[in-house]
Amino acid sequence: MIFGMWDSVLFHLGPIPVDHLVVTQWALVLVLGLFAFMGSRNMQVIPRGMQNGLEMIVEFTYNFFGQVMDEEHIAKKYAPLLSTFFLFIICSNYSGLIPGAAHIQGFQPPTSNWNVTATLALITALTVHYAGFSEHGAHYLGHFISPNPAFLPLNLLEEIAHPLSLTVRLFGNIFGEEMIVAYLLFLAPFFVPTALMGLAVMLGAIQAIVFTLLSASYIAASSGGGH
Amino acid sequence: MSIAIGAGIAVSIAGLGGGVGMGIAGGKAIEAIARQPEVGGDIRTLLFISLAFIETLTIYGLLIAFMLVGKM
Repeated sequence: MIFGMWDSVLFHLGPIPVDHLVVTQWALVLVLGLFAFMGSRNMQVIPRGMQNGLEMIVEFTYNFFGQVMDEEHIAKKYAPLLSTFFLFIICSNYSGLIPGAAHIQGFQPPTSNWNVTATLALITALTVHYAGFSEHGAHYLGHFISPNPAFLPLNLLEEIAHPLSLTVRLFGNIFGEEMIVAYLLFLAPFFVPTALMGLAVMLGAIQAIVFTLLSASYIAASSGGGH
Repeated sequence: MSIAIGAGIAVSIAGLGGGVGMGIAGGKAIEAIARQPEVGGDIRTLLFISLAFIETLTIYGLLIAFMLVGKM
């Protein structure tokens, strides 16, 4: 159950098995997309209602990433990706806020399976190298042998360690919290897990922020000057 | 039996080190913010990043514990 690759396949889409976590993610994407569509359909110069809220979010993210990543144009280029990470991760963390959700199919948070978090981390890793190449061109390869060629294996190891640690951090936190709530629910069925779930609300938000912040700082490090 | 003890040791030693590290980092950050409240935002961001790095090591221990329990 714990590291199950396809723990309950619902149906097959061609050769690809689709399990309940994938369906949960489709639902999340649908909800987020609907929100964005409703807010940005027939936009006006003077925003009202939902457009106001969405504009506030977009402006906040641009300012926030501009501050974290130092360079304005890089922050503007990658802020959409990073805030999508944030929204997706926080929604999928919160989708498991039902006691014992770890045992109910369809209500498990998708981020408690490490296939999902590894996918997110791989997107980050590819974006980091894309950002490096698009900012520095072929000079980007030089940072693999800085400060001197003897450091090549260490630098390569670092490139593997970054996505690995992103994967394990998100997956371990969410999965561990789910497991602890499930055990507590087994020991004392009523009211006792509530205290821990209050903590889970905070933890879900913090993990989403941490994943986004670390992705932002990796991108800033590979695309910024002077590495 | 020995697997259960191993899982317990893995998670407790990892938690011990991570806890000490997080305590030092958090305490120093609070000291810095108390001394210079105007750079609080920057320090908070850096604190979160460093706490995330510390926490990863603890989570590695937790992961090993889960793998051991899964083998039991």
